[in-house]
Amino acid sequence: MSLYALQKLIRDVNRRPQSREAYFQSPPKFAEGYDLAERERDALLKLDVGALYAMGVHGLLLRPFTILHKVAEPDYLKAIRGE
Amino acid sequence: MPITFAAAASHVPGMTAWADAAPVAQKDRVYGAFDKLRQELDASATDTLIVLTSEHWANFFLDHIGAFCVGRAERYSGPVEPWLKIEKADIKGDPELAAELIEAAYDGGVEPGFAYELEFDHGTMVPLHFLSPRMDRPVVPVMFNTLASPQPNARRCLEFGRLIGRVAAKSDKRIGLIATGGLSHDPGEKNHGLIDSEFDHRFLSAMAAGDADRLGAYTRAEFAKAGAGAFELLSWVALVGALGGRKGEVVVYEAVKPWATGVGLMNFTRALAA
Repeated sequence: MSLYALQKLIRDVNRRPQSREAYFQSPPKFAEGYDLAERERDALLKLDVGALYAMGVHGLLLRPFTILHKVAEPDYLKAIRGE
Repeated sequence: MPITFAAAASHVPGMTAWADAAPVAQKDRVYGAFDKLRQELDASATDTLIVLTSEHWANFFLDHIGAFCVGRAERYSGPVEPWLKIEKADIKGDPELAAELIEAAYDGGVEPGFAYELEFDHGTMVPLHFLSPRMDRPVVPVMFNTLASPQPNARRCLEFGRLIGRVAAKSDKRIGLIATGGLSHDPGEKNHGLIDSEFDHRFLSAMAAGDADRLGAYTRAEFAKAGAGAFELLSWVALVGALGGRKGEVVVYEAVKPWATGVGLMNFTRALAA
């Protein structure tokens, strides 16, 4: 379980402008720099918000990350509630 | 020198970033309460503010989490959030007071971390924006881990607060104390939008009574039930410890749905003079 690495990636994208730029240029390439489990990598690259939340990504990491992807609040809440 | 100002306030970012989403009457009451506290702070001629606060993954991450962190920087900057509608500012620190606080804490049996470099997010910038808007009062931030489980327990926060209060009371400077965060809310989580007014009123009553025994007995489960953001109230518990159980007054409480938070402000300054 590499939840730590997954959250670290998300936090780096949220907080570090250079990481953010690199991520948005190529999410798969950026993700190579982190020791993610396959299902984490898949959820990340598909931006499967419900799966990322279910894996344990903290809400105050995940919500800012989804804002960067222009996910509206109602859609975010539906996803994490599994609706 | 006695403590010259003491207050507690919510710091929900909606109060500045999407302030007008709130019903006008609620926004006016919250803003009016901040005005009252600001006037009281100005009248107190406070030199330095010790801000008991929390942060939201701005400085700290899971590579290293401590229960408490005292800022001992010469200067801080904030907010980190460009969307907060608070102008980016530099805020002077007070490394001398921070060092006194850290040493007294270690001698007293609580060992906070310390940092020579910290940025402020909305958790610190929102209350400063309302209470010290010129950003010209030096600040010693005391950050509480309210995000990563396990958070420090309430009893420990009370003890740490008592040590902070002793340092503030014997300082040559005129010290103000501000605790920030809460009340009930569950930001970014499944129950986002939750406002537990019953919890909020009970907590505010205990704070107003300066009921250290009750506040120190709050459990993680009680805070968690009021939403992940309710852990921020650990800083309020520490404030009561710092004030030695003095009584306070609730200046405002509003359950503001568009801000997804039970918003409360308390003033303890009048009890300081008693």
